[in-house]
Amino acid sequence: MKYNLELIKNKKKIIGFSTILILFSLLGIFYSTFNTSYKKPINLGMDFVGGNELRIERVCEDECSKFSPDSVLENLRETSKNNKFSNNIKLQFQNNSKLISIRTPYLTIEESNNLISNLDNIVGPLNYESKDSRLIGPKLGKRLLTNCVTSLLVSLFAISLYISIRFDKKYALLALLALFHDLLIVFGIFSWLGIILSVEVNSLFAVSLLTIAGYSVNDTVVIFDRIRENLKSKKEGYNETIQLSVNESFRRTTFTSITTLIPLLSIILFGSYSLFWFSLALSLGIIVGSYSSILLAPSLLLKD
Amino acid sequence: MKRRQGWLFFIIFLLTFSVYLLINYPLQLGLDLQGGSQLTLQIIKEEGKVTRDELEAVNSVIDKRVNNLGVSESNLQTLGADQLILELPGEQNPLVASRVLGKTALLEFRTQKEGTSSDLKSLQLQRLSIKELIEQYSFAEKSQNNDNFLKAIQDDLKNIEQELNYSSTSNDLYGKLIEIKKYVDKEIANLFTKTDLSGRDLINAGRRQEQTNSNWEVLLTFSNSGGEKFAEITKSIAGTNQLLAIILDGESISEASVGNQFASTGITGGSATISGNFSAENARELEVQLKGGSLPLPIEIVETNTIGAMLGSKNILKSLYAAISGLIFVGIFMIFNYRILGFVSVLSLVLYGFFNLAIYSLIPVTLTLPGISGLILSIGMAVDANILIFERIREELYDGNTLTRSIDSGFQRANSSIVDGHITTLLSCFVLFLLGTNFVKGFAATLGIGVLISLFTSLNCSKTILRFFTTYQSLRQKNLYLPRNNFSN
Repeated sequence: MKYNLELIKNKKKIIGFSTILILFSLLGIFYSTFNTSYKKPINLGMDFVGGNELRIERVCEDECSKFSPDSVLENLRETSKNNKFSNNIKLQFQNNSKLISIRTPYLTIEESNNLISNLDNIVGPLNYESKDSRLIGPKLGKRLLTNCVTSLLVSLFAISLYISIRFDKKYALLALLALFHDLLIVFGIFSWLGIILSVEVNSLFAVSLLTIAGYSVNDTVVIFDRIRENLKSKKEGYNETIQLSVNESFRRTTFTSITTLIPLLSIILFGSYSLFWFSLALSLGIIVGSYSSILLAPSLLLKD
Repeated sequence: MKRRQGWLFFIIFLLTFSVYLLINYPLQLGLDLQGGSQLTLQIIKEEGKVTRDELEAVNSVIDKRVNNLGVSESNLQTLGADQLILELPGEQNPLVASRVLGKTALLEFRTQKEGTSSDLKSLQLQRLSIKELIEQYSFAEKSQNNDNFLKAIQDDLKNIEQELNYSSTSNDLYGKLIEIKKYVDKEIANLFTKTDLSGRDLINAGRRQEQTNSNWEVLLTFSNSGGEKFAEITKSIAGTNQLLAIILDGESISEASVGNQFASTGITGGSATISGNFSAENARELEVQLKGGSLPLPIEIVETNTIGAMLGSKNILKSLYAAISGLIFVGIFMIFNYRILGFVSVLSLVLYGFFNLAIYSLIPVTLTLPGISGLILSIGMAVDANILIFERIREELYDGNTLTRSIDSGFQRANSSIVDGHITTLLSCFVLFLLGTNFVKGFAATLGIGVLISLFTSLNCSKTILRFFTTYQSLRQKNLYLPRNNFSN
């Protein structure tokens, strides 16, 4: 089973494809920064801006009675008389009206308890054993954001340092280029998801970016290693040796990506909802990462 | 061969030991898996950084308060330089804890300044009317068609605000009422001068129900020197029209006169009671706060997570499904592509799972949802190394080498690139663990541990198992290692 990727012939197509992906991501980031209600490059979630998120199930026999979210909200405003969330509250029914999810600005525990008991009066009875409530103060949110950005920068720096020690300049630069390409595209996709589906990113998103960084570089390192090894021993031309090396390590790289994707897919399919977007971000990162290590980074090494 | 057999026994020993550990020391589950509440407390300091000593001091006060509250199996730990995390497992309401922990609880005894009698009287009257309004409000809140009722309360409140020459900033009516009450309590406290008697002079606190009505009072017991100070202070104002105020966090909670009969010795006996119309709950909260002492720095509750018990067990089940199906599909993929080699990697994966869990119970690592996702993800990464090795073995086999030679050089040549490739992932984990929040740390820990253990299982364990297999003649045919249709090239 030999693979024959025509890297040399398709160099322009590969670079063009990546350019389009990057432009698409940048477009999302710019659109999100200037043209959305939140005016940020990406839709920051609860973890970073603070707030109150509540998910709770209703107790129903057979089927849950239907409520329109607007009427429930109307009712809540009426009974709560708490100005904090009168204008700024989102409510959704999911799972055949069984599951209620609510977002409000930051509430104290007391206010949140009041909200839940009011909710119980309107659409109850509620199953308190199924409660999932998160209250995050705005101060903590800001701190978490700085924390995440710092960890990202520190670890990118550490990875860059490691790569530049291990490879000579040209290889190191290209490996890093591939790394930023991967991160930018995953970030861009989530910018778009924020614009279109109001998907929010939380601290786990930062974790996924960090993990992608480690993984993507790992893949590129393996292929570059093979190229270096072959350039020393093989007598074919420079470009041909690169293409050969990529084909030699193609199986290995795709297989390792597949075995990493399989567990992630099982989390997406069977795991808890709080891990859904996290696993999706990781999966995207691994797909883009293997593409950039197999096709993009070696193509950039080719001479004209 | 002898050496390999030694490894085989070592691996079997490790496996037995892991199972023993897991049976005797079950895994610790995080709150997102067993249900419960988690509160993050932020220490507030206006200038400079919170020192280690201050963090320790706050920690010990909070610890005492939590213990006195009687919550079971709570867990308090520091996070970074200026945060504490309190975990309350099970269905315990975080509300009471938050009320008791959030207060500084600085207790002071103050004596009234000269010539403030009339000011005090009018403030006390206003406090009384606000208390009444608060009671009316909680009644109105429960009744229907309460618009007029609430309107009346609002008007009364406006009048009081005018008299006080103070306007409240809260958004809602209840908040306003509470704010005004605080303001009045503070104003009253300002009419008194500080003495050197404070909460530090207490050795104990208690509570009991007043005999005449259903209200509660809080009992204070002073240390020896505290008792002397108290006698001194009460002696100095006994029989005058000066009052003694008990101030908590800058707000007066009770003002009392000292009778003429104490003019010669003051109130001796080293104890006092505060009777400020406490409800049973309020009295208990104050008791707990006073027993624990006052906080050296104020704290604020910045995060509260609550997970119901049912949701927790659902999360366990879902994670189990995800982990097992991930394992099965990775196994199928490996056996399909690598035959016996794939089967070897599945066996090492199972070992890998046991070793990981054993390490969790040994360290111990508290298992959380992100932690589990780190573990599941590391399954994929653990196979990485196997794939690298197997690809090398295949190449050697294609080149016409013997099976034993191919296996040997496959493991040898892949060694360095495997170790190398895992370094970047370990780097990321390390940074995450140092800088991450509690939530993120769980992921970094399990992924990092996983990557380290996978080095052992995929290099050593799979080699040992493979060597063991190849001692059987029937398992040494090349076509068991290479898919048949490709064997011809």
